[in-house]
Amino acid sequence: MKAKEFTGLFERFSKVMEENRRYLIQLDSVVGDGDLGLTMDDGFKAAYRAVRDSEENDIGKLLYGAGKAMSVAVPSTMGTLMASGWMQAGKAFRGADEIQIDQMADIFAAYLEGVAGRGKAKPGEKTFLDGLAPAVDAMKEALENGKNAVEVAEAASEGAAQGFRNTTTMIAVHGRAATRGAASRELEDPGAAVAMLMMQAYRDWVRDTHDCLPC
Amino acid sequence: MKKIINRPEDYVNEMLEGLYVAHPDLITYTNDDLRCLVTARKKPGKVGIATGGGSGHLPLFLGYVGEGMLDGCSVGDVFQSPSAEQMAAVTREIDDGAGVLYIYGNYNGDIFNFDMAAEMVDFEDGIRVESVVAGEDVASAGPSAPGEKNTRRGVAGILFVFKCAGGAAAAMLDLDEVKRVAEKAAANVRTMGVALTPCTVPRVGEPGFSIGEDEMEIGMGIHGEAGIRRGKIEPANQIAEEMLDKIVADLPYQSGDEVAVLINGLGATPLDEQYIVTRQVNKYLEAKGIKVYRYYVGEYATALEMAGVSISLLKLDDELKKYLDAPAKTPFFVS
Repeated sequence: MKAKEFTGLFERFSKVMEENRRYLIQLDSVVGDGDLGLTMDDGFKAAYRAVRDSEENDIGKLLYGAGKAMSVAVPSTMGTLMASGWMQAGKAFRGADEIQIDQMADIFAAYLEGVAGRGKAKPGEKTFLDGLAPAVDAMKEALENGKNAVEVAEAASEGAAQGFRNTTTMIAVHGRAATRGAASRELEDPGAAVAMLMMQAYRDWVRDTHDCLPC
Repeated sequence: MKKIINRPEDYVNEMLEGLYVAHPDLITYTNDDLRCLVTARKKPGKVGIATGGGSGHLPLFLGYVGEGMLDGCSVGDVFQSPSAEQMAAVTREIDDGAGVLYIYGNYNGDIFNFDMAAEMVDFEDGIRVESVVAGEDVASAGPSAPGEKNTRRGVAGILFVFKCAGGAAAAMLDLDEVKRVAEKAAANVRTMGVALTPCTVPRVGEPGFSIGEDEMEIGMGIHGEAGIRRGKIEPANQIAEEMLDKIVADLPYQSGDEVAVLINGLGATPLDEQYIVTRQVNKYLEAKGIKVYRYYVGEYATALEMAGVSISLLKLDDELKKYLDAPAKTPFFVS
């Protein structure tokens, strides 16, 4: 996979956020200030445009640039966290002109690390991480079991969806939801929903582009 | 919504244009971006001090940039963090080789962006940055144990942190020392507020919450975050006492202590009422044997057109007194 091929993936991310703008606003209105749908739509759009318009061959620099564009477009809490994910993925892959599709698991792992580092959070605290961490684990497990790219992406999407559902068993420790204490438990976490949507987009993109693998 | 504005989307930039027109001797901007506000009186070799945050709180944050306090401020939309890029641009402009101290309020959006900006200027420019996060609203959360993350919101008391750190930087202390002074001020300040009416973000067009005609909310934050008690409005003396009980017990401020006091209007409360509160604050502190070194009364940190006041106390020692008294000249603060 070369830098140019990331355009299609980022277009997918952008599209899924646009389509789920209202859904994210609804989720966020329950626990936050309700602007998550807008910031994710604007933010992933900015990242997509940066990738589409970039002449960069270095995949690391490309992803870092996508993060930077996102941080300028949406400097909100969640916008900056998502930007930090791309920037960390960029740092991890600096100098790479080509990667194998299997390495997408490492890209999302670096993304996870970037978000966790910026937010000083860990899985189990009812955040975005609780959507993405199970997805990354599921990808790694599928790879170890010799699954093909489509199966790995499907595992990622299922893992994230399951992770999102599991947030209703967790007590929030970050953001406005945390002020509710134990009463936050039954709420669905909007951040984890963003991870679920990202992994859906990833699955659909892999299905479109790698369906003939391992042929 | 009843405001003297043009288009809501121009609110922040037009406010900034007005400030640059009124105070050309004190402030300017960098990076061709009105929102990257910097001092017009750069002092060579000095530690730079930057802040930043959402608009809607004037004089906070940008109003304290000038001489003897802050050197730069990145400006966000109303109640929204500015971007890390803007913070980094301000940092580059105000660094003169001695490094830069960030002082800002304890809000996630600001924290994430300032952390990112610090990484960017370290990585891209080799500028050393340290940060002090102010969070002194006793109504917003309980005290944090040593080593634990402070979860309190930052409100008007950050003024004292700006002033003391600014004085230390103007005295040509190095970055670690300026940070130490800022941390000392931040550790010794406590604030609590009361709100009587909500506020309206121009682009939203209607209040984000409501407070009944005969009600007040004790402990409400400067973006309308929930307080600790909503009830029927009471006389000024009782309101002041309820807030002071919480503030004084928290540090605690004790008999024999010397303090600076900030009585701050939240945007729509007349100075008359602020002085009525000041009167009662003085009686209360006198009765407790707490000596007031100086009062600051007026609008220092607002929440758009919210009605209400906050009270902040800063416990002083000789060092903090010295930096509090040091000369400063900014659009909204002169000493």
